Amino acid sequence: MKNDYKSLSHIMMPKSVAIIGASDKPDKVGHVILQNYIDAGYSGKIYPVNVKNEGTIMGLKAYASVLEIKRPIDLGVIAVPAMAVPQVMEECGRAGAKGLIVVSGGFSEVGNTQLQDQLASIAKKYSMPTIGPNCLGVMDPRSRIDTMFLPTYKIDRPKIGGVSFAAQSGAVGSAVLDMIGSEGFGLARFISYGNAADVDEVDILNYLGNDKDTKVIVYYMEGVKRGREFIDVAKRVTKVKPVVISKGGVTEAGAGAAHSHTASLAGSSQAYEAVFRQFGFTIARDLKDLINYAKIFDTQPLATGKRVAILTNGGGIGVLATDALYNNGLEMAKLTKESEDSLRKMMPDTVNIRMPLDLVGDADDKRYIDALSVVGDDPNVDAIITIVLFQTPGADSRLASSIVSFASKLNKPVIGLSVGGSYTHSHKMMMENEGMPVYESPDDAAGSLAALINYSRYRKGIA
Amino acid sequence: MVGLWDYDKARNLVKRYGIRSVESSYVKSGDDAVRFADGEPIVLKVLSEKALHKSRSGLIRLNLYTRDDITAAYSDLEKKAQQLRPYKVIAQKMVRGGTEIIIGGNTDQQFGKMILIGLGGIYVETFKDFALRVCPITDFDAQSMLNQMRSKAVIAPSKEAESMVKSLLVSAAKMFAENEITEFDLNPLILHDGTYDSVDLRVMG
Repeated sequence: MKNDYKSLSHIMMPKSVAIIGASDKPDKVGHVILQNYIDAGYSGKIYPVNVKNEGTIMGLKAYASVLEIKRPIDLGVIAVPAMAVPQVMEECGRAGAKGLIVVSGGFSEVGNTQLQDQLASIAKKYSMPTIGPNCLGVMDPRSRIDTMFLPTYKIDRPKIGGVSFAAQSGAVGSAVLDMIGSEGFGLARFISYGNAADVDEVDILNYLGNDKDTKVIVYYMEGVKRGREFIDVAKRVTKVKPVVISKGGVTEAGAGAAHSHTASLAGSSQAYEAVFRQFGFTIARDLKDLINYAKIFDTQPLATGKRVAILTNGGGIGVLATDALYNNGLEMAKLTKESEDSLRKMMPDTVNIRMPLDLVGDADDKRYIDALSVVGDDPNVDAIITIVLFQTPGADSRLASSIVSFASKLNKPVIGLSVGGSYTHSHKMMMENEGMPVYESPDDAAGSLAALINYSRYRKGIA
Repeated sequence: MVGLWDYDKARNLVKRYGIRSVESSYVKSGDDAVRFADGEPIVLKVLSEKALHKSRSGLIRLNLYTRDDITAAYSDLEKKAQQLRPYKVIAQKMVRGGTEIIIGGNTDQQFGKMILIGLGGIYVETFKDFALRVCPITDFDAQSMLNQMRSKAVIAPSKEAESMVKSLLVSAAKMFAENEITEFDLNPLILHDGTYDSVDLRVMG
């Protein structure tokens, strides 16, 4: 395989970090970054660098320039004013830094493309993969790297897990990261790459695609620079792991004068959407869907088909969930005769044996597990939505826990749907922490299951 | 210089990829058109780089049967076409009924050549029901393009129709990928009686 893609391993897992622009002054970006490294418990070497400070910064020996460190530097994090960035990069290059993150803004995003071109050529000259400028940088809970200049008390930091999240926009990046922090799933890597002067979408997709800690890739982008290379990498990556993608910035179709009907229909945003569909991406229409899809891909096996069984302890939500299935292109499963007979023997007379299977309001953990054991084994069932309305007397923590532990043994997707308030929410979190995604609306549940099922079809080569 | 290909040249190109288009001929007079018709109903169209929307601008006359109809239509079109110089008038055999689809290609700035299929004719821009893919495409892609369309049941009402449209799509994508052209339209391509006729084509390159 030709190797046109930049390596990010020294950036994500550095043994030593120089923070250029580090400061004792709490209002400086370089201060927050250094503070976060210290707070996160990073175990490598930290070298604070500030041209105005040669004593100590936050208790660590400080350097006026990276050239004075005279020890290996894996990663340089640059948070100095834009005009000073080229010189600092030159010094990092001469000091042998293996990768850089330029947090500073003031480049192409404000029309300063010349300065950005200069940055790109220095990165190239020293073969130093450089993320940014104008970005939040990276976070990696395993290696305890956190270059974000956002104070830890203002944004939840996710736990360690298998979902990696890349975002062009720092604002979308930090907001979604904050959302992930309050979800039940964990993070592998976070990369906010800003203006992509050097390291771009293609490098990042390639890196995360090859990364063993990444099970699911979640991507927010506003465009790609190398369309064909992006396709080459995408083809390979989506065959081994799911990539959930959301693209901002809808370009009007047919900006120029179109000569053909085709050109007037096939604008830039249509082209992106077509590429995403063709090469196995899962398109998220909304930030909420980035999270909804991430958690089903992170925890559930691929599905064998689109026939879905629904178990519920409330008729009405079962009906709404059924509608949501069909609205999302899925089908209600039809149980085998054997399954129906077994259920009839196990269930009380109040339970009607048909889909959606209403276990009625007094269902407890035993009734749910009995039903799940039959439905889970039914060859006509490809996936299961388990609705639990925690407002009912029989629905409690024991029920929640039994469902998750039973579902985890089935080799088909099982997701939860629980609508309600704070008691429900705490049980949802409990179930998610144990590995089963729980949705709070029928459409979120069915839409997420559809995302998983459509991706499963792509993996199996079914159009 | 990028420009609209001559109709005959475009027709030969699609023919090389096994894509059939309706019998047609340039005509220089009403009498010319009558000779081409040879007793069968025909269509007259004005071709000009300045006119994309022939039906909207009244530059197409359908179902001309009698000598009088044909010659009257010819002089009417000739009058309308004066502002569209240079132009040509083409006569084609009339294809009746059927489902109009569009198959086309566009070169995207970022991803290169892309192939499109949509519900065609006058519905193209009304319903915007189309599917798009990067060239070249596989049979899988062609199938998923059809599956994606709301009008799938109209375009491919049977297994036979489905496989015919799929193979047309794959051939068109191959033609687009292999030639130095930047855009093309087969619009409309009329599906009828288990077969098809492409009745209008534009190739830019």
